[in-house]
Amino acid sequence: MVVLLAIVPIDISGYWLRLITFIFMWIGLAGSINLITGYTGYLDFGHVAFFGIGAYVTGIVMLKLGIPFFPAMFIGAVISGIMAVVVGIPTMRLKGAYFAIAMLVFAEGMKQVALVLEGITGGGNGLSLPIYTNYTFFYYCMFGAVLLTVGTTYWFERSKFGFALMAIREGELAAEVSGVNTFYCKLVAFGISAFVAGIIGGIYAYWMTFLYPGDAFNVLTTVHMIVMAFFGGAGTLLGPIIGASLLAIIEELLWAEFRYTYLIIVGFIVVIVVLYIPRGIVGLVREKVLAK
Amino acid sequence: MIAIEILRTERATKKFGDLTALDAVDVTLDKGVILGMIGPNGSGKTTLFNVISGIYTPASGEVRYKGQKITKKKPHFICRIGIARTFQVVQPFSQMTVLENVVVSALYGKGLGLKDAREKGEEVLEFVGLKEKIHSLPDNMTTPDRRRLELARALATEPEVILLDETMAGLTPAEIEEVLGLLRDVNKRGITIFMVEHIMRAVMTLCERIIVLNYGRKIAEGTPEEVAENKEVIKAYLGDRYV
Amino acid sequence: MFAQVLLDGVLMGGIYASFAVGFSLIFGVLRIINIVHGEFIMIGAFITYWLYKICGIDPFLTIPAAFILLFVFGFLLQRYVINRIIEAPEIMSLLLTFGLSLIIANIALLAWKGDYRLVNPEYAGANFNFATFTIPYVRLATFIFALVAVAGLQLFLQRTDIGRAIRATSQSKDGARLQGVSPAPIYAITFGLGAAVTGVAGSLLSMSFSVFPAMGGDYLLFSFFIVVVGGMGHIPGGLAGGFILGILQSLITNYVSAGLTYVVMFCILYFVLIFRPAGIFGKGIVE
Repeated sequence: MVVLLAIVPIDISGYWLRLITFIFMWIGLAGSINLITGYTGYLDFGHVAFFGIGAYVTGIVMLKLGIPFFPAMFIGAVISGIMAVVVGIPTMRLKGAYFAIAMLVFAEGMKQVALVLEGITGGGNGLSLPIYTNYTFFYYCMFGAVLLTVGTTYWFERSKFGFALMAIREGELAAEVSGVNTFYCKLVAFGISAFVAGIIGGIYAYWMTFLYPGDAFNVLTTVHMIVMAFFGGAGTLLGPIIGASLLAIIEELLWAEFRYTYLIIVGFIVVIVVLYIPRGIVGLVREKVLAK
Repeated sequence: MIAIEILRTERATKKFGDLTALDAVDVTLDKGVILGMIGPNGSGKTTLFNVISGIYTPASGEVRYKGQKITKKKPHFICRIGIARTFQVVQPFSQMTVLENVVVSALYGKGLGLKDAREKGEEVLEFVGLKEKIHSLPDNMTTPDRRRLELARALATEPEVILLDETMAGLTPAEIEEVLGLLRDVNKRGITIFMVEHIMRAVMTLCERIIVLNYGRKIAEGTPEEVAENKEVIKAYLGDRYV
Repeated sequence: MFAQVLLDGVLMGGIYASFAVGFSLIFGVLRIINIVHGEFIMIGAFITYWLYKICGIDPFLTIPAAFILLFVFGFLLQRYVINRIIEAPEIMSLLLTFGLSLIIANIALLAWKGDYRLVNPEYAGANFNFATFTIPYVRLATFIFALVAVAGLQLFLQRTDIGRAIRATSQSKDGARLQGVSPAPIYAITFGLGAAVTGVAGSLLSMSFSVFPAMGGDYLLFSFFIVVVGGMGHIPGGLAGGFILGILQSLITNYVSAGLTYVVMFCILYFVLIFRPAGIFGKGIVE
């Protein structure tokens, strides 16, 4: 499967190349929010902030400091990760719902920072990155991001650290009393999830060439990430992959014609998932299998 | 045998607003004993456990473990140095199997690697009698089994002291006997037990010493016989008329 | 000039308070963060708009309609949808109300298009001048109505039987049950009541600000700020929080730049959440 995807771009048209690159991006993003929300249970309603920070830092560093793409992207991701830890230290002491909305306010605040610091970010006029239109390159970049996300998730699933996170999700106090340093583990998971989102943001910035605050810090992006992760199955390896692929395809089919209808459908998906399939598609499949 | 003190609280005091849940409570726990703590509901027993295990910070007073002050340390630290704890209302990790539940404790409470933690987990689960159920989910288990799981989680951290909070509540007499046997085995391994219990029969037969709390204060301490005859204790439970 | 800016802030603050108290009430009793809150405001605003536009009814007279319609809507929503997951972890009710808000806001968008509408009866532009202050009549009237709404809610909770039952349920669900108060109908009534008061606030807002389907979002964030600062579940705190936000926003917009409002809000929210999560009066629900 992986090999197949790697060979594909050699012979396909621009439309499909772009579509699949987008799907990769969403898989990566859904996977990144899954790392924090799926594995620790902390619902990050402002996750787009880390995507946007990665995007903007990459752009600014490339433009103003002339640093080439890969190091710039890396710097952007590191800063995203650091921001997550900085924001996480006070906010992760809070109960789930408070954390969620505090993060939402954070993301909105970041958008405003981008708008206000015109000298650095170009403000409302946007940021213009160096132009590079080799779309196959971006295909591979996003593909790499997917590998990064999936690899990290796999590590969360199998490692000692992963046990700590799942314990935190299932019962934070019980985990703490069992010896898990919950504060530290939560922050690490948060930082990692932000780093991944930052990488994707950096790729996105270079790919799109133009960045606007409303675009980089769009709350709808967070909405997509959350729905994709939950629809597929939060806290699982395959969940975000399935959820993102399906939803991205649905979006592609409906977006042009039925903009608002698309969002209504997304809303219904969320409601149905919460009421009837809280463990997502992966959870549903697992239950069927276990029942046999 | 010389008594070696392993855990001590010195004038532990905890307040919640105007309510004094613990009032200068002194408890000394010697290595290898089984100490019971009884008292009417709301007398501060669980609060004392929470103070010892680091979930609450006392308003004043200290907690010492092997002579060292551990008063303001975080719960995970206290677990790692050898004080384990169970909860009155069992809180298993519901989406994880029984084995996985115990592995968490072995990984982080004891600090083992994945492979060793799994082995430890299996060993502990066999000890408590849950060998057949290691791949079950906690929600599908009976109450006594869930209590065993709770105990197993505590044991997997290889503690020197275990704080047991009403492990036997709601069990049938036969189940209580089993748990008593289990706890005696735990104690034989050298683990010091500090238990809160309402089931008097269990407390009287198992514990070498008992302390009694009422309204956050220690009102009595001694052997089971001494405590049973103590006027303050009788008054606390039954009121003045029975003294 | 400073006093005017302050006054504007206070007037806005009262209105802000009116739409935050419903949010606070719902959290206080049901313990859920209701994301549909923004949409309640939007629906209230649209009710006023359409009644004014189509039937020519004076906006202030549409307030009872907003109240009743939103009460019914909220009641039914809780009873048949939200109540199903009332025992589930918080994250689920957050997601559920979030999904519902997406549905409602976008249906509105589909039905009414995204244009910005204004409710402007003939007296809209008239101002009330005294000393060196200028206060639009409408602003003053909505301010008064907002305070009446908040006071009315508080009185209802303190003085009526249902109000007492609601407060009992918020403090202890099981305790209330023992007293013969069944939680499910209380939840539905409370949700309806919260929705109704919020709808009234939306109605009041429509008289000063544009009405459009996506308007709920910003007001939701404002509400969150207000109730955290004022104390979650504490109505008088909500009033204080409203004034704080109103004044803060007025000051920032006039002396610095409107764009920084969120940044400042976030910083304050941050500090309050860390150092005083129970709000300025310390009476908010934190657990």
